[in-house]
Amino acid sequence: MKVTAERVEKSTVEMNIEVEADRLAKALDMAFRKLSKNATVPGFRRGKVPRVIFERTYGKAPLYEEAMESLGTECYLEAIKETGIEPIAQPNVEVVQLEEGKPLILKLRVEVKPEAELGEYTGLKLEKTEPEISDEAVDEELKKLQTRYAKLLTLEEGAVEEGDLVTIDYEGTVDGEPFEGGIATDRQVEVGRGFLAEEMDKGLVGMAIGESNEFPMPLPEEYADTRVAGKEGLIKVTVKGIKRKELAPLDDEFAKDVSEFDTVDELRADLRVKLQTAAEKKAEADLRNAVVDQAVENATVEVPDSMVSNQVEQMYNTFMRSVAEQGMQPEHYFELTKSTEESVREELRPEAVKALKRDIVLESIAKAEGFEVSDDELSAELERLSKFYREDSGKLREMIEKSGELDSIKAGIVRNKVIDLLLEKAELVEGKPSPQE
Amino acid sequence: MKFAQDILIKPMITEKSTSLLEGNKYTFQVDPRSNKSEIKRAVEELFKVKVLDVHTLRVKGKLKRRRNAIGRTPEKKKAIVTLKPGDKIEIFEGV
Repeated sequence: MKVTAERVEKSTVEMNIEVEADRLAKALDMAFRKLSKNATVPGFRRGKVPRVIFERTYGKAPLYEEAMESLGTECYLEAIKETGIEPIAQPNVEVVQLEEGKPLILKLRVEVKPEAELGEYTGLKLEKTEPEISDEAVDEELKKLQTRYAKLLTLEEGAVEEGDLVTIDYEGTVDGEPFEGGIATDRQVEVGRGFLAEEMDKGLVGMAIGESNEFPMPLPEEYADTRVAGKEGLIKVTVKGIKRKELAPLDDEFAKDVSEFDTVDELRADLRVKLQTAAEKKAEADLRNAVVDQAVENATVEVPDSMVSNQVEQMYNTFMRSVAEQGMQPEHYFELTKSTEESVREELRPEAVKALKRDIVLESIAKAEGFEVSDDELSAELERLSKFYREDSGKLREMIEKSGELDSIKAGIVRNKVIDLLLEKAELVEGKPSPQE
Repeated sequence: MKFAQDILIKPMITEKSTSLLEGNKYTFQVDPRSNKSEIKRAVEELFKVKVLDVHTLRVKGKLKRRRNAIGRTPEKKKAIVTLKPGDKIEIFEGV
């Protein structure tokens, strides 16, 4: 097989492939054997027809077609391996010569990953900020813990306050007539959270146990009981019980309960450290993102449409999966957000372009710097992954190799190397410490 | 005298007839009224070959029923013609 490749446009490569006649003949033979199994020719049982007779009845076209299907892909794969081209879309194939006894000549146009025209990527100026954890942030965190461990106290007497959990009976009427769904007994509800009709929610505050009251209640237009939908109703509520959330007192006892620490001070210190590391991690990630963004900005990249739509499709699928994971039907989601499949895709588009640009730029830099993944680095990464997935590293490697993910892992390593380099060469300017949440 | 074209109706190309070609035997569907010597002459004249032997057989028409009316498909006569080694008939060629 002879292959020549030539870059004709920014992201298109034209390949000329010449395949030996022998190989074509072999492929045709295979094709015939496959087709003859299902070919019906009068006078012959299936699969028994000689090739000449087959060709006389059906012509050569089906054979060529079948042969091209397997031989074409085979040659294509071989050709890209030989030339080292990395296609990103299905090739556009033009058959120049296809005749038995003569070499097969193909002309392929493939879209490849474009190369970025790199701009300056060393000495990028970046503002680095040291995260600082304020006392308020720690307090906030403590408060969250307190609420999480809050106890519910049943009040014997007293009045309802906002945030209380009350047990109520209620009966709603329209013009003196009860309506569907308007009656309940012993319902538990949190006051002041908007779970109830507005008037009722506010009116409940201050009521004592055993007290009854009536509130006006406008019924929504889309109320299930159509006879009363949209009308003014009246609701009679009786408070039967009150439970109040009590925050645990902030003392050493509390600290012992919720953590492995003995005193509040220790707990506080621990929370601070945790917040600090989280903030530092975030700052680091932000920094890495920022440095890549700058490199991308300095470079010129043209992303071919086919790549973009591929990426959009991928992101769309991931997105829809996440919607489904939340237990939502896609149709339902579209209805809720007043969007369509198209509009969601359209929204994802800029994101996709950005992601692709980053990829391309990082790859181009890696190429320019001659970065490659050594075996040691690969094993280290696999080791790390195997810990993450709790899987034997050898087994994991086998699995990954089988699924063809190895390349993407390698790409990830290279990418990290590039970012490390960018950071190393960048000028870090000490920014103002920003308060972290 | 009949014309050669009237005696030989068409070549028979089937699995069995293709395997017979190896012995230089060619199979034809022929006019049921013709006899072996007529067939021999017809083949020799039409294809310019030398015939050594002719075997013939009649294929009775099959019974076909359409509702209650019984009918028969037409009877056929097949002739298997052995040629002199080296002689060939073009229409079977390549098999």
